[in-house]
Amino acid sequence: MFRSRRGALLVLGGAAYLAISAYHVATTHAHVIPPEKLHRVAESYRRSSFVLNLNPILWDLVRKDCEPIAQALEKVDPVAAAAWREEVRSVIAGITAPPKEGEAAPGPNERKRAARAVFESSTRAVARILSWHLERTGKALPEIATAHTASREAGQIWAAFELEIRSTDPTAFRALGTRWLEMATALGSPGIARIGAVPVDVPAFRAAADAIAAYIAATYGPGYSAPERGALAPLPLRSPTFDPEASVPVRLPPGSDINKQVPRPRQILNLVARGVDESETALIAVGDMGFDSAFVFGEPARSLQISCNTCHNKSITNPIFVIPGLSARPGGMDVSNGFFASHANNGHFDPLDIPDLRGIRFTGPYGRNGRSASLRDFTRNVIVNEFNGPEPDPVLLDGMVAYQMEFDFLPNPALGADGRLSEKAPEAARRGETIFQRPFAGLAGRSCASCHVPSTHFLDRQSHDIGSGAGAEPHSRDGAFDTPTLLGIKHTPPYFHDGSQPTIRSVVEWFDRTATLGLSANERDDLTAYVETVGDGVDAREDTPYYLDSELEEFGFFLSAYEFLVGKGKPELMNVTFETIAGEIRNHMWELRDPQHQPVMEQMAGLMDEALAANRCGDRAAVDAKVAAWRNLYAENVDVLK
Amino acid sequence: MSDPFRRGGLVARTARLAIPLVAAALGLAALNGALGAPEDEVKIAFIAYENPDQLLEDVKPVVAYLEQKMGRKLKYFVATDYAGVVEALRGGAADAAFMGPLQYVLARDQAGAEPVLGEVYAGKASYVSRIFVRKDSGITGPEGLRGKNIAFVDPISSSGYLYPLDIFKRAGLVPGKDEAERFFKKIYFAGGDEQAIRAVLNRFVDAAGVGQFAHNLLRPEERAEVVSIAESTPIPSHCLVVRKSLDPGLVAALCDALLALQDGPDKGLLENLYGVDGYVRVTHADYEGVEKLAREYGFLSGK
Repeated sequence: MFRSRRGALLVLGGAAYLAISAYHVATTHAHVIPPEKLHRVAESYRRSSFVLNLNPILWDLVRKDCEPIAQALEKVDPVAAAAWREEVRSVIAGITAPPKEGEAAPGPNERKRAARAVFESSTRAVARILSWHLERTGKALPEIATAHTASREAGQIWAAFELEIRSTDPTAFRALGTRWLEMATALGSPGIARIGAVPVDVPAFRAAADAIAAYIAATYGPGYSAPERGALAPLPLRSPTFDPEASVPVRLPPGSDINKQVPRPRQILNLVARGVDESETALIAVGDMGFDSAFVFGEPARSLQISCNTCHNKSITNPIFVIPGLSARPGGMDVSNGFFASHANNGHFDPLDIPDLRGIRFTGPYGRNGRSASLRDFTRNVIVNEFNGPEPDPVLLDGMVAYQMEFDFLPNPALGADGRLSEKAPEAARRGETIFQRPFAGLAGRSCASCHVPSTHFLDRQSHDIGSGAGAEPHSRDGAFDTPTLLGIKHTPPYFHDGSQPTIRSVVEWFDRTATLGLSANERDDLTAYVETVGDGVDAREDTPYYLDSELEEFGFFLSAYEFLVGKGKPELMNVTFETIAGEIRNHMWELRDPQHQPVMEQMAGLMDEALAANRCGDRAAVDAKVAAWRNLYAENVDVLK
Repeated sequence: MSDPFRRGGLVARTARLAIPLVAAALGLAALNGALGAPEDEVKIAFIAYENPDQLLEDVKPVVAYLEQKMGRKLKYFVATDYAGVVEALRGGAADAAFMGPLQYVLARDQAGAEPVLGEVYAGKASYVSRIFVRKDSGITGPEGLRGKNIAFVDPISSSGYLYPLDIFKRAGLVPGKDEAERFFKKIYFAGGDEQAIRAVLNRFVDAAGVGQFAHNLLRPEERAEVVSIAESTPIPSHCLVVRKSLDPGLVAALCDALLALQDGPDKGLLENLYGVDGYVRVTHADYEGVEKLAREYGFLSGK
């Protein structure tokens, strides 16, 4: 059953596109009642606040995000807006100006002072904008429809502070939440062509609006200061009911997207392709679980439900993944940044494109700069020093390596085993193959094939500086990157270590230009056709937008390692397994096409919770029973859980 | 007007539905280049729930398709005021208009309009309202909300007030709208579906009466904290209405052209038409439930 679900699937075609659009409608029927928009002011404030807490700070992003706040402030008080713009401009100019001759570059203290100054000033500006919108609501009366629109806008700006108030001042949050409801209710309704109109209750409106305005002014108004320690965040420090012990849940900034691409890339596991029964591959099951588990990582990745699979979706890539401040563009991130692991920041912005892990046992060394010969060391470093995870259990690490060892390239009928094109390759690709093997003076007498060696998976296990990275200083020797394979790349744009090249064609043009290859337009076309042919493969994507049944099958696979973990005496890994399955069931429950089966999924998640609790108490018999119950419940309902 | 069943075409994913119509702007924002004799033109009104300029752009390719399919010229306008559209239907300045169920019922009452096509979302030409409470509240049915606070969306919303309140009426708890204030401790109108369901999530109120899809606006981890305790009768979806005495041949041509979209090569145009999946043929009978409720709530003259 597991084999068939991961077996060969149809190539993406017209039917799949329709299925996908149906899927998107099915998921976006949630937007038939659409979500509240995040107001530009709240969006910019939340995002710039996030970026101001990073190291390094992308000051260009901050500058860009201050603009909507400045524009909104202009409507309130043009003079104050001009002064605010100048203040922010001056702070950013000061911190980003190149140091004068003989002076040191700004250090951490200067950076933090600048960040704090911009943050405090932005917070006061947003508070002023919010207050103005509250006043505007009242001024719009008796035009009810206009007042509702203004009130709505005020509520959207309130979202700038809501998370911190909810988390650290729940008393005020509840009181203010009720005030917002009272305000909306008091505004009445314009009716439909005046039928069903409800008049404004002016005193009730005033009382509610004034209460909210008073809290904003007192908490974030003039004299507001950011917290002395910890992150820059709009904690309501001056509220009498503020709880200094409370913590604020971590949130990614607006504009982030850690969803996975649809349709899903097709993952090929060598053992599945060979028809192996996965119930007898316990170590690989442990590794599959670890790869998909946020609990292998530490905070904040764990709370954000980020796992290896988030970026390396189905062992491939995720071109959607983006976090403003950490990503230069979708499909990558700076993994040596302190946000996910504060101890392991290398202090400069060096985002990397997420590499495709297909065929990883053939593509060492690992890391974009080829730093690690050992996949095991590399994986451990990602866990501990990129995502702040605890030292992984040796069995878990062995499992994750064993699992990754099963990742296969896409089959490619256009290529022979030695990497040469087969007779199935198109004519343009054949011409391109000749160009690929041609020595060029611009490449010091080498050809493309010198590094992307066809007979060894189109790589050479070397690092080369091709001029694609900016050095630390003039004449630096720090720009070498590990030659990546060309297998499968047609389906994993963008390209280069940082994702700066959007297409294969643009890569060809880059080399032609940078290395002065002197290619004609036709030759560039042919070379592109060749690389695209090499980089292609059969059934690159799954043909269905519905994955719930496949996910549940995978969870069953995770659980198949239970007896092995008992035998090995690994209760902690059992805990991780139970927590992972419970969490993933809850995440995926909403994908059920027929929601009447949600109770079964809740029950399955509940059984994992109970297994976890029993395991923590050391009650082996109870855990055995819960695992058996889960397996039975799944088997009884497998046909409807999709 | 507040009807959260509507998306705004290409701005669907961020379009806000539950905003009142701006009474001032009838919004005769643009007209296409109408050729041919004026009496041959088909005049269609689109109501914009947000960003009329965007909707104006969105419907252009739809109009081009309809003109080609029907062999007639179309004149169209985007309106932000429901009253103006009803007037236009009554006076013949508009032949057809897309509108919500409660709006249609009022358009029928005031201008004799007839529904011809109902929209389909997620495979259905109807949806429901639900009463949501927190899972840890211990409340299991509508009767448990006696003396409690509830948040609806808007006093003139079908899915955000009329239908959820009807749940209590059908349960024998609230004979009519006026008795609602005696049943509940306090009734709020949150102004939007998301505001209402978040109000119950955040414990500002004990329950929310909202359209079913409001639940999906919560984050996955939040959804598990609330539960639906009751569901309304089906609410028919938004529809295409035509004015009284419109030529039946023209009505048929318009309906056929729109119905052809969902299975044909131009299916993508549906994204521009408020993002629907397709259409089904409807008659007034499909909206009798709405009409009944509207009468009970005093929206219609008694007949």
